[in-house]
Amino acid sequence: MNAPIDNEDTVLRYAEYALGVLDADERAAVEEEMARSPAAAQAVEHWQQLLTPMVPTTEEVAPPANVWARIQSTLGPRQRPRSDTGWWDSLHWWRGLALATGAATLVLLLFIVIPRHAATPPQTYLTATLQQNNGAPGWTVTVDLRGARAILVPATPLALPAGRAPELWLIPPGGRPIPVGMIARDTPSTLPLDAALLSRLSRAGTFAVSVEPPGGSPTGQPTGPVIAQGAVRSG
Amino acid sequence: MTPPDSDTRAELDRLLQQCGRGDQGAFAELYRRTSPRLFALCLRMLRDRGTAEDVLQDSFVTVWRRASTFDATRGSAISWLITLTRNRAIDRLRAQRETALDPLTTLDYAAGKAVEDSTGDGLSPAAAAEGTQESGRLQRCLEELDPHPQRSIREAFFSGATYNELARRSNVPLGTMKSWIRRGLLQLRKCLEQ
Repeated sequence: MNAPIDNEDTVLRYAEYALGVLDADERAAVEEEMARSPAAAQAVEHWQQLLTPMVPTTEEVAPPANVWARIQSTLGPRQRPRSDTGWWDSLHWWRGLALATGAATLVLLLFIVIPRHAATPPQTYLTATLQQNNGAPGWTVTVDLRGARAILVPATPLALPAGRAPELWLIPPGGRPIPVGMIARDTPSTLPLDAALLSRLSRAGTFAVSVEPPGGSPTGQPTGPVIAQGAVRSG
Repeated sequence: MTPPDSDTRAELDRLLQQCGRGDQGAFAELYRRTSPRLFALCLRMLRDRGTAEDVLQDSFVTVWRRASTFDATRGSAISWLITLTRNRAIDRLRAQRETALDPLTTLDYAAGKAVEDSTGDGLSPAAAAEGTQESGRLQRCLEELDPHPQRSIREAFFSGATYNELARRSNVPLGTMKSWIRRGLLQLRKCLEQ
């Protein structure tokens, strides 16, 4: 049964979440609560509806046209009316490429990613070099923000215990690790990034790889040792 | 005369519901109709054009993906869109601020003033007619609050700042800022639910 929430402190925490005065960890805690409890979600929603009329109906600024183009490009060819960027947005193409070739892919990526980067506005790509604990390079991560995906290329294939696989995590500044996805030990991997994850991704964050059961950590947080990590940098 | 706001509300609700069924034309129309207002909100909160564009993009990508969860019986589409966009903007601000701990400028106070001006008496008759009943009620209830809670709530809403940041900007102890805002929020709810 969902008893109505009448405890004043709890009510206020939901109101504070809706107003936006909580810090990142407190926000995450309320969001977890909302995911668990329909009553909490409803209480937060109620506050949000009370407050949103504060946004003036009269204040309008037309966004530049390229924002709409970027939205379509992020949503991919099958989700928009007309494909105008072709193979670059095809996840299958990237997956195929990543799986088919090992070292050759790295060379290809350098040729494909770098010239495109030079031609597009800043903040389109982020990168990270994940170092192993002994200082040796582990993976190179290239985040394509427009395409909402991360491409990981292993530098030196790592030996892992049997029945274990590497999992990539994003650690936002001051936050807890967010699972990004399972990656291959010795071949390039492409991971789609959802909007929630992209919104937590900034240059201040860190990527880390931990050793997990093949399907990924059962708890949503790293359970095995961290074998590589590196700071997010501008692309 | 038909009140324009109820027409607009119903249309936006319908467009968002159509997005939830995968209608790309409705999505384009929803973007055309609401993005200027949401972009203005992003600019006001993030104060950087590039970041505001990123957040607007990210918000609409999420709108498309989550549109099927919108339930018009529980609230309006515009409220749903504003909430989603504000949440994205706040997440972005947290990611930026908790790293940089940038010194906060007096711009915030100016922004707070601008909010008061643009939502106060300066509305044109047409704009006032377009403003929903809810907006009018909220304004009246906000105006009933004491000056400190009133200003702090407005500033919090539009700056996306944390309690700590708000307290530092106003140069008051954290506890004072918390009590202003909490008191204000409870009074506001009481006034709106009368």
